[in-house]
Amino acid sequence: MAGTVIGEGLTVEGELTSDEEVVVHGNLRGTLSSSDAVSVGSGGNVEADINASALSVAGQVTGNVNVAERVDLQAGGRLIGDVKSSRLTIADGASFKGNVDMEV
Amino acid sequence: MAAASIIGQGTVVRGNVRGEGSLAIDGRVEGDVSVDGDVTLGEHGAVKGNVSGARISVAGAVAGDLHGTDAVLLESSARVVGDLGGPSIGIADGALVRGNVRTDGEPAALAGRARSTRSETPAQHEETSAPRAARPAPAPRRTAKKAAPARAKAKPAKAAPRKKAAKRRPPPPVVPALSKRTRGRKKKKKTRR
Repeated sequence: MAGTVIGEGLTVEGELTSDEEVVVHGNLRGTLSSSDAVSVGSGGNVEADINASALSVAGQVTGNVNVAERVDLQAGGRLIGDVKSSRLTIADGASFKGNVDMEV
Repeated sequence: MAAASIIGQGTVVRGNVRGEGSLAIDGRVEGDVSVDGDVTLGEHGAVKGNVSGARISVAGAVAGDLHGTDAVLLESSARVVGDLGGPSIGIADGALVRGNVRTDGEPAALAGRARSTRSETPAQHEETSAPRAARPAPAPRRTAKKAAPARAKAKPAKAAPRKKAAKRRPPPPVVPALSKRTRGRKKKKKTRR
């Protein structure tokens, strides 16, 4: 089970720092950094720069993303911002606007 | 359905948390927490800010006010510096609290209205009457302390009020009078010779 869950209907405004998995089904505005994976559920809305080891987006993310391992943009997911990651997958049906830096 | 939210043990939130649904906090929150569901603060959880919710259960540390629309419950491991407010408040043995406790669950501005409406319902009236009884309790203690020295003064006053005054006055003058003169002369003599 995920360490931290921002449930549907919950809004966090500010800085969220974690060393465990973070799941966002609600709203988050500010910055989000985790040393573990971050996933944004289909109802999740994140307006924040994200630092994480891995990121999975099924909802909306607005902000720059800096991820150590991989970013998975799932169908229905929407990501607006620059992505810096060694791996990036964008599923069919996902929307993405921004630059990609894969650290080649 | 407003899903349950969890702020895990390794998570720190600097900012406000608000919204619907219940919230469990095992990490740290530096900001206000306002939820319309229940708030459960675990033993490792810490909040630096005000917390409001339906039913607030605290086993961790809070530096801020707690306001529960249903209840505020402090477990034995709770450490709270702040005010507690709610229609029902429970404090377990071992919990540490520093702050005001209001069982009427209304802010101070609405307290007058709340009391007038509550007098209609007997159950709530008992709750409100309890803190009222508790408040005057410290007053007699203070007066008792003041009364005790007053009696001591009164007893010699009955025998001889002037002597009592005379007894009081001598000690302060005697000590400085003797000490000032004697010390001054003795020291000067000793040091010079």
